[in-house]
Amino acid sequence: MALEDYKADMERCSQCSYCKWIPLDHVKSWRFAKGCPSIGYSNFLSYSARGRYAVALSLINGQSTYTEKVKDIVYKCTTCGLCDVSDKICRYNLEPLEMIHELKFKLVEDGQLLPQNTAVIENLRSQDNMMMETKDGRGDWAEGLDVKRIADEKAEVLFFAGCRFSYDKELRETARTAVTLLKDAGVDIGVMGKDETCCGGRAYDMGYKAEFLKCAENTAGVWKAAGIKTIVTSCADCYHAFSRLYPPLGENFEVLHTVQYLDRLIKEGKIKFTRTLPLRVTYHDPCHLGRRGEPYVPWEGKEKKVKGQIVVYEPRKPRYNGAWGVYDPPRDVLRSIPGLELVEMERIREYAWCCGAGGGAREAFPKFSNWTANERIEEAESTGAEVLVSACGWCERNLADAIKNAGNGMKIYDVVDLVKQAI
Amino acid sequence: MTLEEALTGISGPENVLSDPATLESYSQDLSFAKPIKPHAVVKPKTADEVKAIVNWANPSATPLVPVSSGPPRFHGDTVPGVPGAVIVDLSGMKGIMRIDRRNRVAMIEAGVTYAQLQPELEREGMRLSMPLMPRANKSVVASLLEREPILIPRSQWASLEPLRCTSIIWGDGKQLTTGDAGMWPSMESAWQKKQAPASPTGPGQTDYYRFVSAAQGSLGIVTWASVKCEVFPEIHKLFFVPAGKPDDLIDFTYRILRFRYADELFILNNTSLAFILGDSPEKIKSLTQELPPWVALVGIAGRSLLPEERVAYQEKDISDIAQEFGLRLLPTVPGASNSAVMKAILNPSLEPYWKLGYRGGYQDILFITTLNRTPEFIETMSSLAEAGGYPSRDMGVYIQPLQQGSNCHCEFILPFEREDAAEAARMQLLYTAASDEMLKRGAFFSRPYGIWADMAYNRGAQTRTVLRKIKGIFDPNNVMNPGKLCF
Amino acid sequence: MTLSKEVYRLFEDIVGTDNITDDPAVLDSYRYPLSHTAIHMGPYYRVYTPRGAAVLLPGSTEEVQAIVRLCNKHRIRFKPSSTFWSAWGYPLEDDTIQLDMRRMDKILEIDDKNNYAVVEPHVIGATLQAEAMKVGLNTHMHGPGSSCSCLASATALGGLGPDTLYMGHHNENMLGTEWVMPDGEILRVGTAGSGLGWFCADGPGPSLKGLVRGMTGTNGSMGVFTKVALKLYPWPGPATLPAVGSPPAYKTELPDNIRVYTLGFPSWKAWADSCYLVWDSGIGYIAHRQFSMFGRDLKGAMVRILSDPSKTLSDIEELLEDLEVQKLNKDMERDYQIVLAGMTPRDIEWQDRVLDKILEETGGWKVAGMMEPDLYNWSLLYMIRLGHKNLNLVYGGGYDGCFGLGGTPDYGTSDEPPRVEQATAFKVEWEKKGNIVASGGDAMMGGIGGMGGGGMTIWENFTHFDPHNKESTEGTLEFFNAVSKFGVEKGWGPGMEKMNEYARWSDGKTTPKDVRDKIFLGSAQPEAFRYQRKIREVFNPNDLGDAYYRTLDDPE
Repeated sequence: MALEDYKADMERCSQCSYCKWIPLDHVKSWRFAKGCPSIGYSNFLSYSARGRYAVALSLINGQSTYTEKVKDIVYKCTTCGLCDVSDKICRYNLEPLEMIHELKFKLVEDGQLLPQNTAVIENLRSQDNMMMETKDGRGDWAEGLDVKRIADEKAEVLFFAGCRFSYDKELRETARTAVTLLKDAGVDIGVMGKDETCCGGRAYDMGYKAEFLKCAENTAGVWKAAGIKTIVTSCADCYHAFSRLYPPLGENFEVLHTVQYLDRLIKEGKIKFTRTLPLRVTYHDPCHLGRRGEPYVPWEGKEKKVKGQIVVYEPRKPRYNGAWGVYDPPRDVLRSIPGLELVEMERIREYAWCCGAGGGAREAFPKFSNWTANERIEEAESTGAEVLVSACGWCERNLADAIKNAGNGMKIYDVVDLVKQAI
Repeated sequence: MTLEEALTGISGPENVLSDPATLESYSQDLSFAKPIKPHAVVKPKTADEVKAIVNWANPSATPLVPVSSGPPRFHGDTVPGVPGAVIVDLSGMKGIMRIDRRNRVAMIEAGVTYAQLQPELEREGMRLSMPLMPRANKSVVASLLEREPILIPRSQWASLEPLRCTSIIWGDGKQLTTGDAGMWPSMESAWQKKQAPASPTGPGQTDYYRFVSAAQGSLGIVTWASVKCEVFPEIHKLFFVPAGKPDDLIDFTYRILRFRYADELFILNNTSLAFILGDSPEKIKSLTQELPPWVALVGIAGRSLLPEERVAYQEKDISDIAQEFGLRLLPTVPGASNSAVMKAILNPSLEPYWKLGYRGGYQDILFITTLNRTPEFIETMSSLAEAGGYPSRDMGVYIQPLQQGSNCHCEFILPFEREDAAEAARMQLLYTAASDEMLKRGAFFSRPYGIWADMAYNRGAQTRTVLRKIKGIFDPNNVMNPGKLCF
Repeated sequence: MTLSKEVYRLFEDIVGTDNITDDPAVLDSYRYPLSHTAIHMGPYYRVYTPRGAAVLLPGSTEEVQAIVRLCNKHRIRFKPSSTFWSAWGYPLEDDTIQLDMRRMDKILEIDDKNNYAVVEPHVIGATLQAEAMKVGLNTHMHGPGSSCSCLASATALGGLGPDTLYMGHHNENMLGTEWVMPDGEILRVGTAGSGLGWFCADGPGPSLKGLVRGMTGTNGSMGVFTKVALKLYPWPGPATLPAVGSPPAYKTELPDNIRVYTLGFPSWKAWADSCYLVWDSGIGYIAHRQFSMFGRDLKGAMVRILSDPSKTLSDIEELLEDLEVQKLNKDMERDYQIVLAGMTPRDIEWQDRVLDKILEETGGWKVAGMMEPDLYNWSLLYMIRLGHKNLNLVYGGGYDGCFGLGGTPDYGTSDEPPRVEQATAFKVEWEKKGNIVASGGDAMMGGIGGMGGGGMTIWENFTHFDPHNKESTEGTLEFFNAVSKFGVEKGWGPGMEKMNEYARWSDGKTTPKDVRDKIFLGSAQPEAFRYQRKIREVFNPNDLGDAYYRTLDDPE
């Protein structure tokens, strides 16, 4: 769809401001009621979904033009999707996240770029990763790992590391742990190593649709050629890309996040814990695994009206309201670890606060990204937890950096790390 | 044309008085306000007459002092502040214009008293929430406008409750009806459509009726008002919660307020209760010894549906709450018969007015605070009284939670012998010093009579500035009771 | 851009570079479409409020005062708003600077003994309620819901809500306010003005709360309110309101001392009788005709959709065929919702028995369909948190309210046929034209209260349309014009559909003076608006507000 195709939504936007807050039913305090990091940081209305509807309408109506401010508004969105969830609470027929993507695509198409993003994308084009690294280091994370290389041997399940886990030297161990846990539990698993290229998901969220399509075509092509049917990944961004962005392109694979697989294996008795971890932890729901991690439901249809002016769809349109994301498997995994106490933050599941890393925010707006992460750290601290756990490399990196900047004592782990410690 | 002739032309000769005795009676009250004789007294019978009087007064800026209640009066607000004033006495406007049981509103003229109104309401199955034992000749409208505290905090969503709509003749001579009554072409058309003057707000974006509240008649004259009534209880019980110190009753009272329980809910010290029950100074003195030092009075009424059940369960719950605070909910206390107290507090005062029974005169100090601060004010007042040579045991205290507990009326009643010049002089000194000290400690003189006006407005200078601007709008020629408040 | 660079810089010096902008796209996000919600005028297809000259985000009362003083110096209009929902909060004229009060969002104090909170402009109902509940208190939740500003409800707008019978009207609840007046002076009303805290709004002497607001507030046209103290109310429930379930069908599970019912009645007379009995007996925590906003014919289906995460509007037609849904519609035809909250087990038992007695006397019933656990728990959360108020717009994005029939319950329900049925029948005919949702004519929502202790009901007939669709929007305008005409012919007067026409016109700007004058001269008391003119002249001498503050400027 093009941006103009959302004109109806722009004009139908309720102006209610629900997009700025978590679902109001879930507000438990003044401190942790906000939902949208963008307007939380920048304050002008334009930085909310409702504001972006208005900005988009203004642009397509020719009432305003691209300015640095417009670019700031459009790009300073982590595409966390909270607005989309809050909007679905009452309004059944608005898709603000889709519109926000279209708005970013349009700016990119029209050459309204941010230098910071441009640098990352140029590197993506030449080096197949989002980490400003060279291609040839891609497989280093798996060095010495006793696991199949898909290029050489077939495996039933492919572990996809993703750019962050591949190149982030501090987080690499998490990827290695994930693979090892699955393999030791009897999963016939392999990795792509140096042949792995970016899933394209982050490029999509930054507004680079063409680059995403290239990545998708490339990655899916390699998988099909290798006969891969099932992918497991520890990166929520990749999980989202494979399970939500690839299927509309006709690329359908079975996609699991590591936490889902671990949950299954624990419940089947194939992973057993031998140690107690007396820790109080709180879990951060990655946006791309939670509310954006709902299964894709193909749909093609059109809008129609019933009872005069009720907007419905023919056939029935699936509504992504965040309900069906991956929330319980990581929690079940954590709860099954002996001695571990899981306490919840106020903003969780489909209404979790974003870590601040997504949508190009980390790359282009480090202060905003850091502020967003700090908000989350404070929320984690308010639970009394000593450990913040997540299931996404980008979340873990952004939150860890914020912890370091603040000189804070909180520890951050991936779910996988704690499972390893308890085995 | 003389002043008398002009007024006679409006209200008729029988309603214009300028004989010395009459003028003398309006020149002073039982406060320390400096006596100033009015020029004349006019007793209008209709709102049109009131309007005509005000319009007459404007060109010559003749001061008008509205009065609605009969004597004795106590706060100096009805004593002219300047010479040459005309008293506009509305006590003869006694029409009860309408009683509407279904909507629980009554429309009454300015001169209607509690003593007059309550029996009429009772006939229709209603009652008006009252202050504590007003004088029989106290105007209901005046009492409500002056924000005299009512006994039932749980029904007081707003400070002016139960006052609803009003009809005001402003100082500039124009008439305005406030509240939803001001939205209809006429009350008759409203009644026909089954509407009722129940909402006090507006018209428009101004709550005009608030400008005439606690205004001591300095902005306009209210000729009629509508009031929201309670359903007359089918069963009504009164309980006492005695205590040694006022502090002991505070948290208990807060809990009752928090639960929105009880009807009448207020605190008296033994002296105040003795004033109420005693029919002679000697009786008052002996009762003070008998009665518990402090008592919370808790009325529980059953109305409308399942009335007995309401009283029964609230009695149990409140008793449980009292126990929680180490107190007891009792049907009587030594010195106080339940029926006598109940009768007293639910009716206007008998003669003499209950605050006058002990020494023939009294000075009060009353202000708004929060309930939790009242013990501190009580202690301060007691110390000041003793230091000023006034026996604190003679001082009555009345604590009335307001607005469902958000704030609280705190009142000290200091009886003294007015005819004794020395005692009166000592009382005046004590009253001034104590008022000053209360102000310093955070008392809010929301009804700034006499010396409290300067005190209050010096503390709230911007309030004074804005009020003067309002005065300039509604009473540009300053005819309405000049010299009061900050005008 | 209408602000000179020099003046822009002066504003920038006050709020900081990050907190001011005149970027056109940003300014356009601060315009309100007049084909929309609760604007009570029009609707006008693709007409917007004027573009502001700049948007500022003040962070403190001092900054607000500095801004207002600067505006006075340079004769610049200013218009504050908190959550920017509905056209009231937007400029009427060009060259107006807009104040977005978002940064002033603190709950400054909650006094849990004397039961009040002091809040800044951008504190919304949900956050105040959440914090109040921690200490066993609750806040009156204004009608547009918990996403809206408590301060705005108290000082700028209506102030009523579903819980008003118990938790008052924000006019009543206001215990003080801090006001940067239109001339830049600061007034603190009541005890706050004497430096004594925030526990009483009235005095010394005449209550200046009367200047702050009347039946409605001043719609951001008379200075800027920067703090308000609001009375809080008892909350006998858990310290955190539990919300469970899958979105959007969140539900709550509360202890048995808090109960919700949908009540149905055999006739409008019975319905009205019940209101009086509820008020006379003093029961009820929240009482509102809430779900009727979906329409007489559709509400049964809608409550099913809203309480089931797998359902969407596309299920509506199928649900309407369901016999159970049809029964629900029938049972709820003359209905309202009531929440009872007991402070103790004895209290809730008594209240519930009184309710049963009321139903016995009026022939009413507790709607069985709404007692099913899912619907019960859904409606309980809905009524308490009021976090779904953009459901007003669920059908197609646009809604506005017409008729009104505000006053005693007898007013709306009397006449032959009852006025509410006349309004229903009139709307049904217009629904047939297809421009507004065919909801069954009666989509009337309104509180069983009107003020603390009750006394009033209102019948805002929700009219749902599609603001993206020209025929729908213009058809709705035509309908509203017809409603006004009908109301005048009937002697009811024009209804809520025209409430704001005195201020804003079809071009989005100030209504022409002759039209305004006619409206005010035709009112019951034009004098009220002449006085407001005098008030404006004294307190807003440079006239930097707008026509939302109603004034009649005629030679006397």
